[in-house]
Amino acid sequence: MRSFLLRRLLHALVVVWGVVTFVFFLVRLTGDPAAFLVDPTATQAEIEHTRRLLGLDRALGVQYADFLFAIGRGDFGQSIQTRRPALHVVMEHFWPATAVLAAAALVLSTVAAVPLGVLSATHRGGWVDHVSRLASLLLQSMPAFWLGIMLILFFAVELGGLLPAYGSGSLRHLILPAVTLAAAPLAQNVRLIRSGMLEVLGEDYVRTARAKGLAERGVIYRHALRNAALPVLTVTGLSLGFMLSGAIIIETVFSWPGLGRLIVQAVPGRDFPVIQAGVFVFAVIFVAVNLGVDILYTVLDPRVRLS
Amino acid sequence: MTRPIGIILLGALAVLAVGPRVAWPADPPRAVEGQAIDPDAELIVALADDTNNMDPRIGMGSIRSNYIRQVFESLVDVDAAGKPQPGLALTWRAVSDNVWEFTLRPGVRFHDGEPFNADTVLFNFDRMFRKNLDKWGIKDVPAGASYEKLYPMVTRWEKVNDATVRVHTSEPVAMLWDALGREPLVPKAYTIKHGVEALNERPLGTGPWRMVEWKRKDSMRFERWDGYWGPAPLVKRMRFQTIPEGAARIAALRAGQVGLIEAVPPIDAAGLGRDPAFKVVSAAQKLGCRLYLNGRPKDKYDSGGRDGLFAEPRVRLALNHAINRDAIIKKIFGGYAIANASPVATVMYGYAAQEPYAFDPARAKALLAEAGWRDTNGDGVADKGGEPLTLQLHFPAKHYGQAFDEMTAAVVEMLKDVGVQVVVKPLDFGTLLQVLNKGTLPHNGGFTACRTSNSVDAEDQVRDWATFTLVNWTPFPPDLLALYQSSRREVDPAKRLRVLADLQKQIRDWAPVVPLYQEIKLYAHSARVLRFAPLPELHMDFRGVAIRK
Repeated sequence: MRSFLLRRLLHALVVVWGVVTFVFFLVRLTGDPAAFLVDPTATQAEIEHTRRLLGLDRALGVQYADFLFAIGRGDFGQSIQTRRPALHVVMEHFWPATAVLAAAALVLSTVAAVPLGVLSATHRGGWVDHVSRLASLLLQSMPAFWLGIMLILFFAVELGGLLPAYGSGSLRHLILPAVTLAAAPLAQNVRLIRSGMLEVLGEDYVRTARAKGLAERGVIYRHALRNAALPVLTVTGLSLGFMLSGAIIIETVFSWPGLGRLIVQAVPGRDFPVIQAGVFVFAVIFVAVNLGVDILYTVLDPRVRLS
Repeated sequence: MTRPIGIILLGALAVLAVGPRVAWPADPPRAVEGQAIDPDAELIVALADDTNNMDPRIGMGSIRSNYIRQVFESLVDVDAAGKPQPGLALTWRAVSDNVWEFTLRPGVRFHDGEPFNADTVLFNFDRMFRKNLDKWGIKDVPAGASYEKLYPMVTRWEKVNDATVRVHTSEPVAMLWDALGREPLVPKAYTIKHGVEALNERPLGTGPWRMVEWKRKDSMRFERWDGYWGPAPLVKRMRFQTIPEGAARIAALRAGQVGLIEAVPPIDAAGLGRDPAFKVVSAAQKLGCRLYLNGRPKDKYDSGGRDGLFAEPRVRLALNHAINRDAIIKKIFGGYAIANASPVATVMYGYAAQEPYAFDPARAKALLAEAGWRDTNGDGVADKGGEPLTLQLHFPAKHYGQAFDEMTAAVVEMLKDVGVQVVVKPLDFGTLLQVLNKGTLPHNGGFTACRTSNSVDAEDQVRDWATFTLVNWTPFPPDLLALYQSSRREVDPAKRLRVLADLQKQIRDWAPVVPLYQEIKLYAHSARVLRFAPLPELHMDFRGVAIRK
């Protein structure tokens, strides 16, 4: 286990270094932010002065070396737009806003999916199954933008402000964005669990368990679900990455001050330090989530060995 | 002989514009417009975005201005019509050809109690012109406007007494009061003690609102500053709430969770306006959106040895006559935009109305033919010497909003109708800036973009073609450059207005760009919000706004 973790950590370091290096050079290929910071009526001399102030007039290799040394100290430089430490800017958007929203959506999309998927599979062809499949189809087809606006109009406007239309900071603020963010992954998980359950319910070991006289609940939840849940775990890992990094539409509709909108605004503004710090955080999250999923796999399926 | 009289007239104009701001009696009013108000209420204003920073020196764009001008004030203020009003300066006047004098408002204090006086102004001029930064021990910051490069003729500034500052120039500069007077001023002692970063983190100004909390990308909270020199705001607290999505802003207003929203999409304005619970108000803005065309000489961009294809004024004029602006404004903007043939926004000092460019495709084709562009092979595209008349249109998609994007598409079709082959190149705004900055716009290139202003005076917009900048792709010919320079130097107000009017007419006829529309900005607010008057400025003014009980 220890050697596995060490190997994965080394692998993670290489991945993160590769990603930040790639992004460092990629963003610079698209030009620099000096022209963004000056008035459109600025002359070339004014733009050059701004480039010098930002240190962008130095050789690219020098900038890269400085960058590598600095990130070793956790210093990603100052945000060009806000003139504040870039990593601090990224982290204050990550925690709590993005982390809480992603966690809430993840819990909703997995916890609710299990009974719905199981019910749908165990009542195959019945009305529960039909309703579950139809609802899943609808939730997956609805654009998050549209669903969000509809939820706002219903819960905030039609129901006289039952839930807030915007903002963050309380459980009431969290409900609508979390539901919107969870909708598509929830539907996906329900369908995955349903199809996985249908597959394993016909397996020999399930028949054996039933023949041994185990209660149906035990057969389903202890034997069948454990195997049916493996694909869900993989998808959930990917979904978590998406929820942490790419909830831009949800953040825009609900004015949620998260990481997605920050990074998306930093890209056209050529705010290099924020882009680099943001990508670094995303890379670390993705690597950590993937590692977590791998470890969970071994718990759920003893046939998978870390070696 | 006329110059001294002119100076006196200008001074008199400035003084006439100045009147002591009427202060409230000791107790603020309990009712306005015959309605009882709630002085302890909180006004929640939904804005499309948060500001990136609060230091005015970094920049005063349309988003930042809204936040910064609640906290900081400038020497020159504006009223609801956009006319200059006394701000931190009571008067401003040219005491001679090359000297401007600002008389400062007495008794003004920053939010931490630091007095505002001539030393404050000199310190701010130092920051603006990047002088004495080492002496004060403060850092330089990347700034939107570099005064030392924009106004190299400003030679020095001096304190006459605690309430008087003079600025010396090497030549007459008619609009210096505007150029210097609209920059928000920061406290001297506080900035030196805490550094320029503090202006961003914990901004302290002289304005009517104190910033008390800033949750980035979420909200900024203000409290009425009771030490304000003018009439105190009529609500105790105010919150700027970021709601990026227009439909969500409207939903929040309908739910009663915000009191006022900005940037109402024109398509939603009529529906909101019919509801008695809301009011929709609008104001013409300085933002003008244009089609810029490459008319630069070959030595002024990365040309590959070719002059800009649109250097010929008749071609640009033809393109102007190809555009049906009335249709664009009616169909795309729901009537909430202005067709303005002047290079100066209708709400700026010195604006002179110009004859509109009539929508006349036949005339457009005739002008193109006069310039040698004819459809010789019947393919619907004008050509000359075997080269088709092509416009490579660089278009910053999703930057200025949906209506702008739709408008660009309409413009493309209108240009095609008169024989211009348009190749649309959608790109992000940052990439467009890189193209303009590096001078790599093709010889037959153009771009659609919008231009606004933080100034009151027309000079800020007529200077667009005087020096090579990101947006200047059709530089003034010598006669127009001379006329522009004379407008800058003419300090006699009446004469200067005449010169400015003449300059605008000549620019209109020379047609450096294809003006498309001038923005009208829409706001909606709850009927409980009283006395909100939108400005033709980049910011909103909440000093007189009240909330009905």
